[in-house]
Amino acid sequence: MSPAQTITSPYMGCVSWDPSDELVFPAGLPGFEQERRMLPVEIPAHRPLVYLQSLDRADICFLTLPVFTIDPSFSLHLSDDERQVLQLGKHVGDEAAPAIGVDVLCLAMLVPCGKTVEANLNAPVVINLHNFRAIQSVASGVSARVLRLSDAGSWVIVC
Amino acid sequence: MLVLRRRAGEAIVISGDVEIEIIEISRTRVKLGVTAPRTVPVVRKETIPVAEQNRKASELLPACGREGIAGILEVLNALPPKVSDGSTDKKDSIPERGNRE
Repeated sequence: MSPAQTITSPYMGCVSWDPSDELVFPAGLPGFEQERRMLPVEIPAHRPLVYLQSLDRADICFLTLPVFTIDPSFSLHLSDDERQVLQLGKHVGDEAAPAIGVDVLCLAMLVPCGKTVEANLNAPVVINLHNFRAIQSVASGVSARVLRLSDAGSWVIVC
Repeated sequence: MLVLRRRAGEAIVISGDVEIEIIEISRTRVKLGVTAPRTVPVVRKETIPVAEQNRKASELLPACGREGIAGILEVLNALPPKVSDGSTDKKDSIPERGNRE
């Protein structure tokens, strides 16, 4: 068993993890192509938020939400290329849709917008729970589906 | 815009060191192979706005700090429970990992 490693995040303090828990983004994330190793961290008091901490740069950490906490009717559409990068065929079959929460985890990246946040459901981070390979799936030819968290306590469709 | 007609197996070269080869043509899609120096970023066009969003997303935690997180959590926790369609168990959380010390 590999020894636990630690990183000191400016946002969460010292975080330890087992190397087998690392998420591997073979292509990084758009705009962060060099960030190939990330760690999802859930702080019980901060649920349902999930921190996505880079393991190579402590200063890079994203705040995300599981997509079903934003839209319970969310459905995932992956291209053949994305399925290949995630190596989903080995676990889910070449055609079958991966089950969110069973085969894959889908996280929506939160983007600051004034005093609130927005989430683009057309570009979820998709993690293969069988092998921890991950991508940010970017839907092509689909109009953006951005939701904003309103002060009134609801997700409002922006576009 | 320069328009070129190419067949599978043919290629075009840009600036002498970027080569784009037509690998496969199907009814609705074309598979391209790009050979370029490492310094030349090659991305799908639709990822460009997402890259900008991600750069903004990386500024969320430095900008909002603990108070901002608390504010977001307050609004999130005030949200009514999401209604599931009941067809599946929509458990959607990460396996336990990453311990803060």
